[in-house]
Formats: sequence, structure tokens, C-alpha cells
Amino acid sequence: MRLELKEITKRFPGVLANDRISISVDRGEVLGLLGENGAGKTTLMNILSGIYRPDSGEILIGGTVRNFHDPHQAIDAGIGMVHQHFQLVPVFDVVESVALGAETVTGWLGTFGRAAARRRVVELSEQHGLDVDPDAKIEDLPVGVRQRVEILKALYRKSDILVLDEPSAVLTPAETLDLFKIIRGLTAGGTSVIFITHKLGEVLEVADRITVLRRGTVAGTVKPADTSREELATLMVGRDVELLVSKGAAKPAGVVLSVKDVLVMDDRLQMAVKGVSLEVRAGEIVAVAGVHGNGQTELVEAIVGLRTIDSGEIVIAGENVVHASPRRVADLGVAHIPEDRMRDGLIAGMTVEENYILDSYHRAPHSSHGWLHAREVAAAAEQGVRDFHIQTPSIGTIASSLSGGNQQKVVVAREFSRPVKLVVAAQPTRGLDVGSIEYIHTRLVEQRDAGAAILIVSTELDEVLAVADRIAVMFDGRIAGILEGASATREAVGILMGGGV
Amino acid sequence: MTSVVGAARALEMGEAERRGLQAARIRGAVIALLGVAGLWAARGAFNVAATFSFWLLEQGGAAWSITTTVGMLWLVAGSVAIVVGGLQAGVGARFPWRQSLFVLAPLYVAAILGALLDGKVANMTGVFAGSLELAVPITLGALAGILSERSGMLNIAIEGKFLVGACAGAIAASITDSAVAGVLVAVLCGMAVGYMLAWLGIRHQVDQIIAGVVINIGAIGITNFVFLRVLAKNTWLNTPPTIEKIKIPVLSGIPVVGPLLFSGTPYLYFTLAVVVFLSYMLFRTRWGLRLRASGEKPSAAATVGIDVIRIRYGAMLLAGALAGLAGSYLSLSSAGSFQMGMSAGRGFIALAAVIFGAWNPLGAFGAALMFGFSDAIQSLMSILGVDVPPQLLNSVPYIVTIVVVAGLVGRVRGPAAAGQPYTQG
Amino acid sequence: MTIWRRTILPALMPLLAVFTAFVVGSAFLFITDIENLKHFPGDPLGTILAGLANIGKAYSAMVIGAFGVPAKVAAAMSSSDPKVIAGAIRPITETLVASSPLIFTGLAVAISFRTGVFNIGVEGQFILGAMGATVAVLVFRDVPKPLLLILAMVIGTLSGALWGFIPGFLKARTGAHEVITTIMLNYVAAQLVLFGLRSEFLKPVGSTLPISKVLSTIVRVPLIFALPAIRLHYGFVMALVMAVLVSWFIFRSTKGFELRAAGFNLMAARYAGINAGGSIMLAMALSGGLAGLGGTLEVLGTVGQMSNDLSSGFGFNAIALALLAGNRPGGVVAAALLFGALRTGGGLMQVKTGIPLDLLFFVQALVIMFVAAPALIRSIYRMKVQNADGVAAQ
Repeated sequence: MRLELKEITKRFPGVLANDRISISVDRGEVLGLLGENGAGKTTLMNILSGIYRPDSGEILIGGTVRNFHDPHQAIDAGIGMVHQHFQLVPVFDVVESVALGAETVTGWLGTFGRAAARRRVVELSEQHGLDVDPDAKIEDLPVGVRQRVEILKALYRKSDILVLDEPSAVLTPAETLDLFKIIRGLTAGGTSVIFITHKLGEVLEVADRITVLRRGTVAGTVKPADTSREELATLMVGRDVELLVSKGAAKPAGVVLSVKDVLVMDDRLQMAVKGVSLEVRAGEIVAVAGVHGNGQTELVEAIVGLRTIDSGEIVIAGENVVHASPRRVADLGVAHIPEDRMRDGLIAGMTVEENYILDSYHRAPHSSHGWLHAREVAAAAEQGVRDFHIQTPSIGTIASSLSGGNQQKVVVAREFSRPVKLVVAAQPTRGLDVGSIEYIHTRLVEQRDAGAAILIVSTELDEVLAVADRIAVMFDGRIAGILEGASATREAVGILMGGGV
Repeated sequence: MTSVVGAARALEMGEAERRGLQAARIRGAVIALLGVAGLWAARGAFNVAATFSFWLLEQGGAAWSITTTVGMLWLVAGSVAIVVGGLQAGVGARFPWRQSLFVLAPLYVAAILGALLDGKVANMTGVFAGSLELAVPITLGALAGILSERSGMLNIAIEGKFLVGACAGAIAASITDSAVAGVLVAVLCGMAVGYMLAWLGIRHQVDQIIAGVVINIGAIGITNFVFLRVLAKNTWLNTPPTIEKIKIPVLSGIPVVGPLLFSGTPYLYFTLAVVVFLSYMLFRTRWGLRLRASGEKPSAAATVGIDVIRIRYGAMLLAGALAGLAGSYLSLSSAGSFQMGMSAGRGFIALAAVIFGAWNPLGAFGAALMFGFSDAIQSLMSILGVDVPPQLLNSVPYIVTIVVVAGLVGRVRGPAAAGQPYTQG
Repeated sequence: MTIWRRTILPALMPLLAVFTAFVVGSAFLFITDIENLKHFPGDPLGTILAGLANIGKAYSAMVIGAFGVPAKVAAAMSSSDPKVIAGAIRPITETLVASSPLIFTGLAVAISFRTGVFNIGVEGQFILGAMGATVAVLVFRDVPKPLLLILAMVIGTLSGALWGFIPGFLKARTGAHEVITTIMLNYVAAQLVLFGLRSEFLKPVGSTLPISKVLSTIVRVPLIFALPAIRLHYGFVMALVMAVLVSWFIFRSTKGFELRAAGFNLMAARYAGINAGGSIMLAMALSGGLAGLGGTLEVLGTVGQMSNDLSSGFGFNAIALALLAGNRPGGVVAAALLFGALRTGGGLMQVKTGIPLDLLFFVQALVIMFVAAPALIRSIYRMKVQNADGVAAQ
């Protein structure tokens, strides 16, 4: 074996991220590392690349035990990481980016041997069919090519173990196919590749062996020829803990949110939502399931007015909101629980009370004629704290000193504090403990039963299956399929999430 | 956000191109209009002589001069502007308009100068030599700014380093009776201030703007204090030997160029050398590559094993040394003693030169020359008794910088990570 | 426990910062006391004691200069002679006079910092406000006086507001960094004032100095006490009123809420439907307007004549002051009173002991540094972070 990880255990406060994980990869082999978000893949790779140190277990390279104290040592040991978020300097050209940190120099001034570096880059690029222009600036390159520059970086450092972290997350299907071709070329030359993903189709196509991680442990190791999408999906999502939410059958009424043929671009001007149509009725919970980065974020931002759509139509409660401001959308009765609540949902430096009125401060009874009404605001905030069981010393406490669950509750309490027709909740329970999760789910069901339309975006299969009346699975900017919540199975959702069939 | 979305609407790359074309057309129209204005100004100005003379070797010595008319100057400037404007509008975004400004600007400056002089003879060797001398501290300060910002540290404390350098240099030179010792002490003090800025920004994560403000206010306070309390009463501490001009044999005998470039102070020669040297170091060496990576994307530098913090400390020390040196120039060469507040905002003009020169040593030197030129013109005007309010010329560097920062004339972009705190690991 | 946490702890750090800055300042006083240090080789102990005594003299002169001589104040209590009373209260009124512009500029900086914008341009906004008021007074000199005063204040405020709005607008629209633009605009403002003071319309007949005609003969801000040599005018009262208004605005108005939200977290503010660009422009205009009004009252109240050195660094003091005050209007008033006392007291110190007032600039820089890097103070005094949950107390 070229690389072996034996019994790796890594514990963070309150979380067992890696629990006695063992994986191995041989010369010229592609190991697919499959798992959901939070299965422990990233932690494992950070251990491998010297960023974290394991609590126990060992790393063997070529049969000898190696301990990495910093990324440098991992690089020297031949491990080349291609991070999901590229580590390239946008204003550098390809040669500079590739050589950075491993420059060859001449003379007493340390002149960078650019010509030699350029020759190597061209050589490596041709040898492995990477087709990269050595003189192009990084910021002018499409994402797919940037990834190849990252691969070049690893090859330039003579890495023989290449780790690709969610490499296809940012690629178009065509670019993904090119990547597979490159990977096969590399392995033919003897390089070992660890391919981290949660897309079933990809791992079946490119891997020689697949190790599936679930909740920090190895759920199984299989060969693509001996397995099926269904088996992989089962291994990946498991069957154990079922989240239970007591809820009656939905009584869907009129359409509250209607999304028609919507196209949305992301910040890099790539098409992220490629023609989505979706309806959410009053009194039902629709969950948009899918792996992160398949256009859900952009779809949500478009619905709540933070992102202008490219074409199509979004109607909320009978009003076309394509050009509406976030304030106008909120005023229509839309509650929005954003995905990154510390960044977007909460103002950490402000008090619980102030956060509670963050989107209603401008309306009666919280204010009139431009002046806040301290007594009414305090009364409302006290009420919210009581109703939502927010654990806080007082409403004057700074939000950042609350626990994550209570911060989330502040956001939920605020959003539900006004008459709600539509709830848009993105990853509403990410990072919360089980108690808080149940609590939030119950509140969502309450809102549904009170007649609101609920749209949840979640990457957590458990959550989707537990609360949704209907499940729309998004893959690559499109709705891959819509399932009834009651009859949907993990396998069915998992396959759709992986872009299958 | 709206701009991103706006660009998205035109689908793919089309929008950026369309905008580029539109901007090019507007730019072309503005330049052409300037040209028309130039031609308009030419009417009736053909009877006003414009004479620019150049000393060949020394002040009052043999001179060579060009005589034309103000009308002619306007005619040439205006016509060139119309051609450039037309080309810009026609060719579009690909037209090298920035470069064309380097042709256009001198023509307009000459025409405006001619018009202001209204027939008086201007000696340009003196003006250019003055520009160079005035450009020395600004260039050195700008290089300090470039080094720190390229490494990712915002540096608004150049002014403070000037003052500290000037004060320390004057005292040290007076005590030791050696100008060289004064320069060395000024450099060391500059480095100490640079280190302090880095220490506050990196070790204590103080906002780099606040840290800069601290240093500027503190430097004004301490140098004024030392001047009033110590130097005013003990003048022997503030009568340093000065650094005089050195004529370089042979080269200083070249007409015009000799008195300009080869008859200056050692500071001038050093500055010219450092501009070239740093350009090379920044863009051609491993050190420069790593420095720029630290200022653009420190996380990328760190993942390939580069010690970003160390690089930043190093850059700040070097920057401090250069700014301290510039300070010593003020007290040891230009004025001959330390005076309160003698940097007079030059540290901020250096900051302007950093931006105007697009964080590039050569560009900053060009900007410093331009700012020095506007200073030199002003003293020429007052010598010749031309009544132009000096305040207007004085404001030019500042207004130009605002225009550049606001991206009104094409955006220049600074190092992406400058000013952002960075924590390792 | 609660009182400790609520009131004493927040004030502790700024107080320690000021104290430490003065200790360092004293050290500088000592090592620059050349006359005294000459005796050091012969009599080290005596030199140290004499040095300390000199520092003591300096600081006591400062206290007397700022607050007056206790005996005189006591005598004035039972006296009805206006001269005696004026002599006793003059130092303290001068302190209030010196704090007025500091309150305005401090509030100006605080309001911009609250919105997350660095307004380094308060100095320029201050003098342009004063310039606007000067021009207004000379243009409308025939307008009835109360009206003229109000008109001048409005125009002065608007001049400052415009000078603040420009960088705000540029930041919101083009992303131009406000620190760079405000620094540059400070210099442009200084040049504009110099330029304006060259004009025949503004300058006194025959003068070559950068000063304006005397304005106090046309209009001036009314004095609070009709006592000889007491300059305290209603500008100080306006400063206090403004502090209350700013406090109300920041903490009680919906606009103020928006500014604070944008200042803390631009993304979350946007998600909550707040117009971030508008908040930046508003904050900068308000900030500039406050500075402009401060300049107006300084020129029409305290000085009575515009000059290019009207502001002796009020705009830069203000940055230290706002940081020291934690950007709270009440804190700004307290810090401005402190700085005002230092300025007037420093004046007497300079006269009596020859120690330059500029020491205070240095001390101020140290104060900002210690406030901005609380870890420094903590390490000096071996303080532990108080909160158990690891969140630093504000």
C-alpha cells in the first residue's frame, strides 16, 4: 500500500468527528471516499494534509509511520491536496501560482527561475493532458481550469498521492468528465488519487475502490463492480436514528409561492439555477433536498429578494416579486431563516432585543414616525424569549454570547413574530443539538398547521424525511425529482441527490 | 450586488464587453471634447509667445530654448486629443488609452503652462530638477507604502515615520557631527516605528487604520514635544551637518541631463536605484512572489508553507527603513535642520503616489514626479510673479487621488488582503 | 457584582488606558528634562527626585490650569465682585470652551464608527463648516442677528455635511476606501480655506495673513455668563444637547438602528432589508454635519474670526476620544471634558513649566493604542479576561 490511515480518531468538543477510521490507497489506484456532509471526510483529509493532528491512529506512507506537524511535511511526503475552495492567488499567472512556495531561484537576489518553471508547467500540463495556458491570469480562468492549476501545483511538487476534495462541486458535467479523464491519465502514470465526494454516480464511474463514511466511521468498503447505487445510498445515509416529528397530514390550500422557469446566476456569473419550477401551498412543507452547491442557495436568495433572477417568474401571495427588495418581500409575510445565521441572520454585536426586531423595527408597534418605542420593543422581545424558550440572561444580552441553538431560536422567534404566509428556511437546524432540532421542527409544523406555506432547504436527509410533506430534490441547478414525503425512502432521495436516474 | 446581477442579465461575457465599449465611448467623447476645448483656446493665442528654456550645465549658464506660441501649443494638444478621443471611441476597450494619456498630459500641461506664463520665459531645467528633488521623499515614502501594502498591511503612517526619521536624524547627526550617522539613526528609528505598526496590527490585531492613526498622532506629538522642550533651547542638538549635492564626474557634464540626474544629492541617486531595485525584487524574485502572495491571498501562501506573518514583519521593517530615510532627507538635506511638522503632508502625498502608481515602484516614482512637478511649477510661478493661487496646484495630488480611488478614470486595484487581519493556522 | 460588571468594568479599561498613557508620558518628561539630567552623574538620587518633583509641578499646574485654584474658588463663593468670580471660574469655563468642539468632533467620529465607516476627515469637515459659516455671515451681514446666526449655523452644518457626504457617496457607489478619500479631502479642505482666505471679500483690509475679517462684531454666539474674560458661550450647551440628540438618534430612532445594524454586520443588515449604501451615505453626511456645526460654533463663538489654524487638531483628537468613549455619546462628552481639561491645563503647564502642550498629542496616541489593544493593558496589570464564557466585556 502506498498510503494507509490506521484507526484514525479525532475528537472535537462535543463531536467525535473521526472514530477509528482506516482507509488505504495503492499505487495507481483511485479511492472514492463517499459520505454525506458531516460524515467526517473533511476532518480526515485535514489530518492527512497536516492541518490537524489525530488523537490516535497512524498514517503510513510506503509502509513507514509518518507524523505531520504542518502542511509542509505532508507536501514533502508526496501528498497533494486540491482544496474545495481553491488556494490560488487571483492576480498571479499560472506559472507563478504553481511555483509559489516551491520556486527554484538563481543568484544572490533569489531571482525566480520563471523560464524553468514555465517549462515544467508546460511539460506537466502536456504530459497529463491538462491543457492549461501557463501565462493566463488565474482570475481570468474558468473554474474547471483553476482546478487543473491546483492539480498542476500538486504535480509540480512531485506529489504521488493526490487528494481531491469535492472536486466536482464547482464543475459543470462536461468539466467533470474532463476531470475523470485527467484522473485516469494520472493513475496510469502511477499516481494514487483519493476522490472525496457525495455524488454516487461519480464515485461509481471513477473509483477503483469505494470507502463509505457515515457519522465519523467507516460504513463499508466496496468495489464499484460489486455494488449498486442503492447499496451505496444505504451505506451512505444509514438506517439508524430516525428523527421523529409528530405531525398530522398536510391540508394543502392555495398556492402561496410559485416559482416558474427560474434562471439565477451565482456571484461568479455561472448559471446556478437552471430552470426551476416549484409551487408551495399554504399548509404544506416542501423540502428542497440536495447536496450543497446545486443551486439551492441562489434559489433561496432569489425568492427572498436578495438576488435578481435572470429569467422566469416568482410570485408570492399573488404578487410578482422579481424586482422586489428584501424589505418588500418580507412585508408580504415571508419569514426567512438564512443558511449562515451568524453572518446573515443575526447581528452578533447587538442585543437579543435588537436582533428580535431586526426586520420589524420600522413598523408599528415597534416604532412610529421614525422613533423606536422602547417599551413595546422590550415587551415584544420578552414575549418572544418566553414563547420560544430562548435561554438568555436578559433581552439586553449581546447575541454573540448565546449558544448556537439559542441564537437560532432568536432568528426563528423574530421571523415568526409577525404574520407569516411563507417560511423560507435554509438549513434551519445545521449545527444544532438534537433537542433544538426537534424544537425547530415542531415550530415549523406549527406554522404549517396555522396555514403558512413552508419551504425548507436542507442537505440533511434525516431532516428532509422527517418534516417534509413533499420533497423536491435539486441536482445541478435543476429539480431532479419531486417525491411525496410520506412515501419517500432514503434510497430514492439519496439516488436523486446523487444525480441518478 | 446590482452590478453583478445587471451583468448577469446580458448573459455570459457579453455584458462585460458591452460595458467596456460603453465606457470607452464615453472616455473617447470626453477626451475629444478636451481636444475641442484646446482648439477653442488656441484662437487668438497665436500672438502670445511661449518660451521654454533649458540650462545646459548650470544655473545662469548657457541655455537652449524653444520658442513657439501658446496658440500653437493648444493647437497641437487639441488636435492630438481629438485624434486620441476618436481612436478610443472607435477602437473601443482594446485601445491603450492609459498609455496615450502619457502623451496627452504633457501636451496639455505645456499648453496650460504657456497660457499661464503669458509670454514670460520659463526655465525648465530648474523646474525638472526641482521636481526630482521634491519627488525624492515622496518616492521613498511611496516605496514604503508599496512594500507594506503588497505584503498585506495597510500603511497610513508614512507621515509619522517621516517626522520621526527627520527628528531623530537631525539630533543624531548633530550629536555625532556626522550626517551618515544621522541617516543611520533615522533609518533605525523608521524601522522601530515600522515594527511597532506591524506589532500592533499583527500581534495585537489592532485595526491597521487605527494603528496608523496612533502612529501619526504620536509622531506629531513626540517630535513637536522634543523640538519645543529640547531642541529649541539646545540648538546645538539641531544643527546637523547636511548632506550636500555630489556631481558625478563626466556624467554631470551631459547637457540638460547632467544637471538633472547627475548633480543631485546622494538621496536622489539612492532613490533612483531603489526604484529599479525594488521593481526587480517585487516582480522577479522569490521574495517578491511570496510577498505579493501574502498581500493578495495569505491563505494560499500559507497552504504552500509560506510564513505570512514573517513576511509581513520583514516588509514592515523595510518600509520603516525607507520612510525613516525619507525623513532624514527632509532634515539633513532639504532643510538643514528639524522643524516642527516639517513633513507637511508629504507622507499622505506618498500614500497618494502609492495608489496613483498602482502599487508599482516605477508608477509611484512617476506619480511622485508629477506631484513634485506641480510643486516646482508653483515655485516657478511665484518667482515669475504669475498670480496663480498656489492652493489650487497644491490640491492637485489629493483630488487626483480621490478620482483614482473612486475609479472615475479606470480603476486601479490594490492588494486584496491589505488591511485585513490575518491569523495563522 | 452587577454594578461591577455594568458600570465599573466598562469604565475600567479606558481609565487604565489614560492612566498608563500618562505614566509613559511622565517617563518622557523625565528623559527630556535635559537641565535636570545634567546633574545625574554627580547626584543620581537627587536628579531622580528633582525630576519627579518637576513632573509633579507640571501635573499640578495642569490641574490648576484646568479647574482653577481651590482657594480662589472658595473666595469667589462669598464674593460679589464679578472680577473675583470670573478669575476663579475662568479655568473651568475655559475647559468647557475647549471641550465644546471636541464634543462635536467626537460625536462625528462616533457616529461614523458606529456605522462601520472610518471618518478620518472630521478635521476637514470641521474647518469647512467654519468656512461656510464665515462666508454666510459676511454675505448675509445685513440680516437681523438672531436670524443670521441661525442661517450661519445651517450653512456651516451643510458645508460640513457635504464634505462628509462626498466620501460616503464614493464608498457606497464605487467602493472607494473612505480612509483614503477622507485623508485627501482633509488636505483639499485646508487648501480651500487658504484659498478662500486670500479673497478680498473675506480677508481683513490690507492683511496678508490667512485670516478672515473679524466676525464677532457682526454676530456671535451669546455668552452664558456676563463676566469679564469668560468666553463660555452657548455653543457648549448646544454640544451637550447634540450629544443627547445623537444618543437618541443612535439608540432610539429607526434610522439610527439601521446605521448600527449596518455598522455591525452589513450582510445581516442587507438580509433584514436595510439599505446599506444609504446608511453609509447618511452616516457620513451626519458625521460631517456635526463636525461642520462644531466648526461653526468655534468660529462664531470662541474665536470670532476664521483662520487657517482654527482647528488645533480637533478632528484628530476626536478619533482618540471616540475610541476612548466606546462610541457612546455620553462617553464622548466625558472624554471631551477630560481632553478639554488637558488642553487648558496643558496651557498653564506650558506657561509655568515650559513643558510643551504637544505632550498631550503623544499621550493621546498612547491612549488610543491602549484602548485599541486591550491585551496590552491586561498584560501590564496582569488582568484576566473576566467573563467565564470567554466573551470579552464591552
